[in-house]
Amino acid sequence: MPEWQERLTRDTHPTIRIEHELRYRLTAPLVRGAATWCDLGCGTGVAAAAALGDARAARVVLVDLEPDAAAQAVAELGAARAETLTADLSDETDLASLRELLLRADGGGVISCFEVVEHLRTFVPLLELLIDLAGEHDYTTVLSVPNDAFGTIENPYHLTMWGEGALEELRRMLPRDHVAAAQVPVSGSAFVIDGSAGDNSALTVAQRPSPVASHFIVAFGPRAAELRGVAAAEMTDLEGQRNWERQREANLAFHEEELAELRDYVHDLERRLDAGASGDDA
Amino acid sequence: MRVAFVVNDLQLSGGVGVVVQHARQLVSRHGFEVELVLAREQDEPDWRYPGLEDVPVRAMPSARGERYDIVVATWWETVAASLELDARRHAYFVQSLEDRFYRPDQPDRLGAALTHDLPLHVITEARWIADTLDELYPERRCLLVRNGVDKAVFAPLETAPIRRTEPLRILVEGDADVWFKGVGEAVAATRAMTAPRHVTLVSRSGAALDGVDRALGRQTAEQMSALYAESDVVLKLSRVEGMFGPPLEGFHRGATCVVTAVTGHEEYVEHGFNGLIVEWDDERGTARALDTLATDRALLHLLRANALQTARAWPSWEQAGTMMAGALHALARAPEAAPLDGAAAALATARAAIESQAMRVAERDRLRYRVAGLAAFERVIERPPLRWIAAGPRALWSAARRAKARRRR
Repeated sequence: MPEWQERLTRDTHPTIRIEHELRYRLTAPLVRGAATWCDLGCGTGVAAAAALGDARAARVVLVDLEPDAAAQAVAELGAARAETLTADLSDETDLASLRELLLRADGGGVISCFEVVEHLRTFVPLLELLIDLAGEHDYTTVLSVPNDAFGTIENPYHLTMWGEGALEELRRMLPRDHVAAAQVPVSGSAFVIDGSAGDNSALTVAQRPSPVASHFIVAFGPRAAELRGVAAAEMTDLEGQRNWERQREANLAFHEEELAELRDYVHDLERRLDAGASGDDA
Repeated sequence: MRVAFVVNDLQLSGGVGVVVQHARQLVSRHGFEVELVLAREQDEPDWRYPGLEDVPVRAMPSARGERYDIVVATWWETVAASLELDARRHAYFVQSLEDRFYRPDQPDRLGAALTHDLPLHVITEARWIADTLDELYPERRCLLVRNGVDKAVFAPLETAPIRRTEPLRILVEGDADVWFKGVGEAVAATRAMTAPRHVTLVSRSGAALDGVDRALGRQTAEQMSALYAESDVVLKLSRVEGMFGPPLEGFHRGATCVVTAVTGHEEYVEHGFNGLIVEWDDERGTARALDTLATDRALLHLLRANALQTARAWPSWEQAGTMMAGALHALARAPEAAPLDGAAAALATARAAIESQAMRVAERDRLRYRVAGLAAFERVIERPPLRWIAAGPRALWSAARRAKARRRR
């Protein structure tokens, strides 16, 4: 059974966690020094806290459908003065509350909206609000959607399916000067010398001609052009991976043997049935 | 938001079906007020589209007194009518580059092409059309809304069934008398196969072609869904397509496809992954591709399984309706691409010229038909020895005509 990681926790698989953290790291230069940072679908705040570090805006607004999640995000981010809003982002009334909350302070800001749109009944009212905030109130939005089209399993929590085609549809609705980015999974290796990984912060990512994205990012608003490429990696739990793979191989060998035995047994039964039928005929 | 989609009629056609689906979604899920406006008088009974009862239908005289937020033309012949309606924004829902539906000597081709050059914002349903329209007129907004698939009717199968031994089941869809559908070529390719196959042809008339095992007439969506589910391959050798729906519907029901690289295929067909792409006018190559699928059942299953995966990621009509709502909001925000003053009058003039030219072409064709017998007779008597025998009477006939002319003078 697949495990759906729609809400990030400390136990989330490292690959998914790094992907999510990286989206916040992409946004960090915009958040740092912004008048307001608003995180739509903030969840537990684990990824944002890990990625943003000391990059903080003067004002933090955390929005989620679940009040408990937003409260946990406040704690994770250590932002005791953060303002929270419980909102269904496909509901026009809740969006009006969000708009009112954001415009209480001047100076615009940054809105992150990661892995939210695909969960909404309709994203059109939210998009209208974000475009209006970008055009009229100096808010820059950074938004992500998954590349569902490339996945092998349908996610039951996604109400809309995203891929290159859907991204193109979205992009053509946005202001023409928006910025688009593809989040691409990487594989890698690193040296640990005398037990220390040293400074691997300058991670080099070799280009592929047509990389397939796991997620798509679009940014629009006055500071969208400030986005810069980032990459992150974490050492693989090779021991855990080995155990899992060996177990899978052993299970497969065991079941193949069992299947062969069952096949032989069925064929033997068929032969005996045929022999019995021939005896009856005789 | 109040929106009018201008349609030529409500007869059964893919294009009108798409408009009706969008109208339904906008009304039921996005709080839009949508009307369908008929650009011309109805002379045939309406095809009953499901859900049309939720969408008011108006005639032009009644719609002329209304004020809309956006009026959307949906076919080149509806553009002039749409510009007659009062709206904050006018737009054009382009489902194909419609000039390609006509042969080069047909006057309508020019009329259709003319509408694509107008400074109207557009919504289109395929990336290839959007890219082309962007190049034609970069200043206008060009929105993209891909057609959805009715996931209740074309419900994706859980898994693609494995068929190891039966003849390859091939489905050909389209009218043989529509030149750009390539139906005759498709059936010819199945005749050129060497492996066992079972060919089903679905066309408007239901007429059979040589080599077809089963010929069926017009089918409902539910019937088509059942036909796709029992097929291994959808074979389409079209030369012109907009969004290219049938193979995609087949994908949902576990069929792969063998297709030409027609416009629209690039949106979802990947050669060797979920289908096979063949050359145009390559009967042997197409037959060989079909024979490969008939004999290599592991490949057939791989393509079918991947086709099903592709289908799962394709948007439903609900998602397509959301995109259409977003596109209409984007158009409402955008300023007009350019002043449209005089465009309706210019289109009407062009339309009159096209009609006049069409009448001349029809008259020419009628005369050509009538003179065909005489021309054939002349060709016969121009051949020896009839030519020598006819030389005497011909000379006498010429002399008689000259004498008659002299008498007149």
